Amino acid sequence: MEKSFQIQLEEIKETDILIGIPSYNNVRTIGHVVRAVMAGIAKYFPKARAVLVNSDGGSTDGTQEEVKKVGIEDFKMILTSYPLRAIQKIVTPYHGVPGKGSAFRTIFEAAASLKAKACAVVDSDLRSITPEWMELLLRPIYEEGFDYAAPLYARHKFDGTITNSIVYPLTRALYGKRVRQPIGGDFGFSGKLAEFYLTQEVWETDVARFGIDIWMTTLAIAEGYKMCQCYLGAKIHDIKDPGTDLGPMFTQVVSSVYRLMGNYQNLWKEVKESQPVPTFGFHYEVGVEPISVNVERMIGNFRLGVKDLMEIWKKVLLPETAHWLESIGRLPNEAFSFPQGLWIRIIYDFAVAYHKGSVHREHLLKSMIPLYLGRVTSFIKENQESSAKEVEEKIESLCTMFEEMKPYLIERWE
Amino acid sequence: MGEVWREAISESFNRFLGKVITFLPNLLAMITIFVVGFFFAWVVKMLLLRFLRAIQFDKAGERWGLTLILSKGGVAYSPANLLSRFFYWLIVLITLILGINALEVAATKNLTAQFFNYLPHLFAAVIILVIGYLIAIFLGQATLIAAVNAQMESAKLLSRSVRWFIIILSLTMALYHLGIAEKVIIAAFTIIFGGIVLALAIAFGWGGRELAKDLLDRLYKKKEKGEGPDHLSHI
Repeated sequence: MEKSFQIQLEEIKETDILIGIPSYNNVRTIGHVVRAVMAGIAKYFPKARAVLVNSDGGSTDGTQEEVKKVGIEDFKMILTSYPLRAIQKIVTPYHGVPGKGSAFRTIFEAAASLKAKACAVVDSDLRSITPEWMELLLRPIYEEGFDYAAPLYARHKFDGTITNSIVYPLTRALYGKRVRQPIGGDFGFSGKLAEFYLTQEVWETDVARFGIDIWMTTLAIAEGYKMCQCYLGAKIHDIKDPGTDLGPMFTQVVSSVYRLMGNYQNLWKEVKESQPVPTFGFHYEVGVEPISVNVERMIGNFRLGVKDLMEIWKKVLLPETAHWLESIGRLPNEAFSFPQGLWIRIIYDFAVAYHKGSVHREHLLKSMIPLYLGRVTSFIKENQESSAKEVEEKIESLCTMFEEMKPYLIERWE
Repeated sequence: MGEVWREAISESFNRFLGKVITFLPNLLAMITIFVVGFFFAWVVKMLLLRFLRAIQFDKAGERWGLTLILSKGGVAYSPANLLSRFFYWLIVLITLILGINALEVAATKNLTAQFFNYLPHLFAAVIILVIGYLIAIFLGQATLIAAVNAQMESAKLLSRSVRWFIIILSLTMALYHLGIAEKVIIAAFTIIFGGIVLALAIAFGWGGRELAKDLLDRLYKKKEKGEGPDHLSHI
């Protein structure tokens, strides 16, 4: 822990609420995020002692200065009364493996050190965060006795494809809890849970990077912490080029899911069906920004995978699954379709291969990307004309199928 | 005249008989060493295999990542099987050397000493080859996956090139270590490698300059416009 950070924590001693914001070169948006957080705390928890920790990865664009600059007078217009306590702000660099998870570790350390009762983390690139998010993420923890609050968002029907096609259905089928956004990025959690997270030796793995979100959610479920989800409204990020991030993002998230499967195999093998979790917040429809998708390129990537990576896939998949993929690879673009039953088999087969270590794990996950793009393409083609509600129904049917095919996973796992 | 002729033949025959009588025990010794040695190697192999299976060596190998390395290297045997086979062939090799040495033929007289002097070099060369092969397989596969994900049509060609380059490099190193035609090997490798680089440079700069220009043009213009592949948020 940074010396100056430690001194600041010692000066503050204790807090009721702690909000963590991990950042790296987010000067365009972080000011808005900090303002929303501070306004939310002042408005909904005026009597609570609150600390905001910005855990930064060494930004060079003035992100840290921007966080320090935002003050109470910036948002006095939106408050009916002044907060009784000033919100303390700490801006600190994090140490360890560069990544979101390491930033979170610093936030957990602050929470444990300050004996925080309720904590929340929010992404620093959010454009749609409002002060109400603080109430929604923190109140279940601060007042209702929950340990973990996952987010629920209104998103574009094709947004969050790793969540919709892998992480949500798989986590739900494995652990039996219907947490719709298990890797949403904005969470509420108790100080007790933060202390538990700190005891885990995972800070050199993919959990220190993009794997942190699913790791937090899975541990909260698997260790029996009381959890809920809160409807936050629209989730709109800062514009960036997501294509450049897909490789590491995909492998780090999926490797964390698969690694956790190994850790909790005795638990998930016994889970037969899924249950909903308590949900808070007022549901409303929001207009989300349109997105453009290059379907042809994604099909091309899938076909290239079928042509060149089949040798690796055959070490993982059953012969009939590999044959099925080959036949899909021959389909013309207009007729391209990647059935969900095939997709589930692939997810389960790769999980088994990861567990058994039959192929180098990093190679295994990277070789999965063309398959993922194939499935996403098919999903986009199938739902081009569908409404958001219809798409949600399709995701629900995928989840049901994941649960129905779980015996296949257990059989292959043994 | 007949006497001289008979004596010459008889002497020649006696000399041959003497040599055969001197050589025969050595031959019998060699055959005995071979029979006992091969049998001993087989017994050691079987006992070792049973022992390794009893202590669940294969499962330990899986935990240590040994099975993974072998499967990636295209080796079909389990770690226990491989280890027992290694000892079998080691005993067979020693048996062959001892057997040939037992003949006490001038050509093979110092074979044992030479063999044991050469053994460390041989081991080092084998290790270089094995490690080189495994690295070649690993990097070849890594290149293939990375190239496919970068949507390169010639992913397989690139992967094979990487694999063969490392195999040839490790083969060169192994031969150099064994002291076999050191200068020739290094010269051959330098010429081949230099030739490949030159050929690629000429091909790209001359034959494919339009393609290169087009590629760089598109890449630069794309960056200038700030076009991403799509606006799909995966998480």
